[in-house]
Amino acid sequence: MSHTKDNLPKEEQVHITSYKDHFSTLIALLLLTVITVVISVFGANLRSLSVFTALLIATVKVIVVAYYFMHLKYDKKVYTWLVLIVAILFVSFAVLTSIEYLNR
Amino acid sequence: MTSTALNLNYLQAKKGIFSWIFSVDHKRIGLLYLYSLITFFLVGATLGVLMRLELLNPGKDLFEAQTYNQIFTMHGVIMIFLFIIPSIPAVFGNFFLPIMLGTDDVSFPRLNLLSWWIYIIGAIMALSTLLFGDGPADTGWTFYVPYSVKTGTNVTMSVLAAFVLGFSSILTGLNFIVTIHRLKTPGMTFLKMPLFAWALYATSWIQLLATPVIGITLLMIVAERVFGVGLFDPSIGGDPILYQHLFWIYSHPAVYIMALPAFGIISELLPTFSNRTIFGYKAIAFSSLAIAFVGYFVWGHHMFTSGMSGLARIIYSIMTFLVAIPTAIKVFNWVATLYKGSIDVQPPLLYGLGFIFQFMIGGLSGLVLGALATDIHLHDTYFVVGHFHYVMFGGTGFAFFGALHYWYPKIWGRMYNKLVANIAFFILFIGFNLLYFPMMIAGLMGMPRRYYDYLPEFHLPNMISTYGSWVLAIGLLLMLGNLIAGFRRKHEKIARNPWGTGITLEWQTLSPPPVANFDRMPVLPKDGPYDYDHKPEIKE
Repeated sequence: MSHTKDNLPKEEQVHITSYKDHFSTLIALLLLTVITVVISVFGANLRSLSVFTALLIATVKVIVVAYYFMHLKYDKKVYTWLVLIVAILFVSFAVLTSIEYLNR
Repeated sequence: MTSTALNLNYLQAKKGIFSWIFSVDHKRIGLLYLYSLITFFLVGATLGVLMRLELLNPGKDLFEAQTYNQIFTMHGVIMIFLFIIPSIPAVFGNFFLPIMLGTDDVSFPRLNLLSWWIYIIGAIMALSTLLFGDGPADTGWTFYVPYSVKTGTNVTMSVLAAFVLGFSSILTGLNFIVTIHRLKTPGMTFLKMPLFAWALYATSWIQLLATPVIGITLLMIVAERVFGVGLFDPSIGGDPILYQHLFWIYSHPAVYIMALPAFGIISELLPTFSNRTIFGYKAIAFSSLAIAFVGYFVWGHHMFTSGMSGLARIIYSIMTFLVAIPTAIKVFNWVATLYKGSIDVQPPLLYGLGFIFQFMIGGLSGLVLGALATDIHLHDTYFVVGHFHYVMFGGTGFAFFGALHYWYPKIWGRMYNKLVANIAFFILFIGFNLLYFPMMIAGLMGMPRRYYDYLPEFHLPNMISTYGSWVLAIGLLLMLGNLIAGFRRKHEKIARNPWGTGITLEWQTLSPPPVANFDRMPVLPKDGPYDYDHKPEIKE
């Protein structure tokens, strides 16, 4: 549970994330790390999907870190949009470059 | 503090070199950039004139081929990284953005000073390549692999210089974004912001998001040269085309870092000298953002002949044509602003009109290069050199000069000789077109770029082009000489609004502005920044 000091103006309100939220996030991250290791070492045979799977799990971890540890959840929505725009640009670069490479 | 002390202008406030190079006043930092930029511009222009001299006649005249390669690389690196990328944002953005927003400084003044120092360190690194080893890089300003990995010239130092300069660009962009979000004067919303501020806002996002890509790409070249990692070497699994992708992912948006602020300047000049509101304020403002956004996805049009896939070429070609739409929106709105305006032909407007004319030639020739079929023929010919200079010099360069003439009385509290300024403009305009238009003809005839020699059939356009470079140089010297001579005209007292029709907030303060920018609270026009129907009365 997070708390806010309601008597402050909205832009100055602070939030204190609970231990429960912090530990839940930590456990989620550890679990995702374990899944990554299990898949790569004990080898679900994913062939060409192995990179995709690793990236997918890493992306989920990034979202969790940004959302909870870096307080995106409690910040103004504009910051979420800014992060999304950067993510969209990065994905676009990767996709466009890959399209070019795979169709050579 | 007394009111007299408060009204002390920023030029008088403190004396001595240290009061300048360690100043955190955005106005002084803007001028530090201006003096540095003009110095590097003159060095780059001199190299350009020397190149044209070599190309006056076929055969070897002045330089060996290797020297010529190093000179055109140095010309490109100086003009791109030290002049045109920082130019308008670093000088006029720094000086006028806070004033136009009605605030007293940028959000992070110390970071602003750090940006200038980083810029100077990067410049020293770039120029130091002249002094040791086999001399400056000979790769062209694009540092294409595999040659940039193999050559013995000082590529490593050159790319490290560009890497350092990138930080200066990022920090300036960051500063402007935060300033625009946080420090607008009360009552000024985004849609009441001057169009120059909009242009800087869009530019800043590109600086912030695209520059890191070139940073890491340039470090990859260093890794290749120093450690032989093989990122771009096909024999050990690398891909040379990957370099071109990474380079142009930054460097195409960088074209908009150079062009968007120039669009902002033109959007300020035209209402002032047409004495009427800008036509299509929102269209111009949002088209800046559209250009910044779409501009991210067109980098592949620089690589049509690189061996990239056919499908990708089609995608990039379509995207290239898309980016022409918001650009054309701006041009139509500028022309519509002039229509039925009460036009006062002053030197800054001449530069604005010169910009529109030359930028149109540059932009339309860009579409020729964006079309796959024609690009195959014209790639790596002088057509590209002509096109690029029409956009960058004929466009951004002329906008820079226009801004210099427009804000000169505000910055220094002096006025130059307008007749001489007009004459200098026409010499520059004629020289520019004599210099660069024949390049496009030579390119259409098939003359390849980047060689110190050419076949005899290309002699005529090259000869005209070299003559043009002399006319252009005379125009430049006359223009700069006139501006410098203007400093000595101390007897004139410059009014707050010397053009009489300026409407944005900088025309409400003293000329030159006081340290805190305003001696009294600025008043916003009622319906947006170009509301000539409710123009605030400005008392001296």
